[in-house]
Amino acid sequence: MTVSALITPILIILLLIYCAKKRVNAYQGFINGAKEAVPLSLSIFPFLVAIFLVVELFKVSGLTTYLSNILAPIFNCIGIPSELCELVLIRPFSGSGGLAVMETIFDTYGADSYIARAGSVIMGSSETVFYVATVYFAQAKAERLLYAVPVALVACLASAIVACQIVKIM
Amino acid sequence: MRKIWFVMMLCSMVALCFVDPEGSINSMMTAGGNAVSLSIKLIGVYAIWLGIIKLVELTGLNHKIANLLSPVIDWLFGKTDKQTKNYIALNMSANMLGMGNACTPMGIKAMQGLDRQNNSKTASTAMIMLIVINATSIQLLPTTIIGLRATYGSTSSSDIIIPTLIATAVSTILGVVLVKLCAKIKDKLGKNHDC
Repeated sequence: MTVSALITPILIILLLIYCAKKRVNAYQGFINGAKEAVPLSLSIFPFLVAIFLVVELFKVSGLTTYLSNILAPIFNCIGIPSELCELVLIRPFSGSGGLAVMETIFDTYGADSYIARAGSVIMGSSETVFYVATVYFAQAKAERLLYAVPVALVACLASAIVACQIVKIM
Repeated sequence: MRKIWFVMMLCSMVALCFVDPEGSINSMMTAGGNAVSLSIKLIGVYAIWLGIIKLVELTGLNHKIANLLSPVIDWLFGKTDKQTKNYIALNMSANMLGMGNACTPMGIKAMQGLDRQNNSKTASTAMIMLIVINATSIQLLPTTIIGLRATYGSTSSSDIIIPTLIATAVSTILGVVLVKLCAKIKDKLGKNHDC
């Protein structure tokens, strides 16, 4: 924990020292880089709205619960306990949503239970697929993503299956 | 993506008609508001990371990282220009270090570079590869989740590191293999169409 917390500050210290060595104006450079933040964020915004909208509506309409009830037996067959069904479903859509489910799991089952540990591995080994897929294309001309999203989802599901098995033995 | 969005939107709206028609407007506005507050937060986050990335570029450190990762990048993404390669290298290293928010601006820049070379309405294999690699996450230390476990009174919050590494390796390798496979299949189909 303490070691991993040190990564970012140490990297920045090294970078600053390197800047000094290369005689780069760190202040001016930082300003020039930071300038791009507003246009970047603005260009992402419409994509964010679209994905937030659909995630919120899906949740409020009760379809998430409905879908996880339907999929629970299937997930059970491939080794994912039904308690983690909701997490596996929400994770690709929303990072904060996934964390919220994770906290409920920690609360209900305890942070050291099998469910909580398997859930943690699922959270740590996957990403918000839909967020990445929309936001990264924010400034690109290409609109058709072909098989990008299905492949990413299959890979994430595979890692969830592996996660549930591996936590049993480790 | 557009199909998924359309289907999810339609299903949610139909379901809302039965469950809670009055609530639909409210939740739409909540979603809009949430997107605005996240964007504002992201302006700050991106400003800091873009500032730091600029320093990496000015010192020429990005070339060094790119050279180091060059064999991997060449194999994954095929031929790309120097600048795009630098962004991909930075994106991948930030990804591995678990700096989630730092990868996004670099990922977008890398994507723009790949898009310029592709110059079509359909994503190229390299672009899909970038998405899949970022979406399957290659982070080495799941810091957020370890911190959360500690908060909830775990006695050994970091015992998930090794299982996570294995799971994330499986997903990334599977993702990469599937992309390579799909690209091959697409090539074959394309050739058949020509005939």
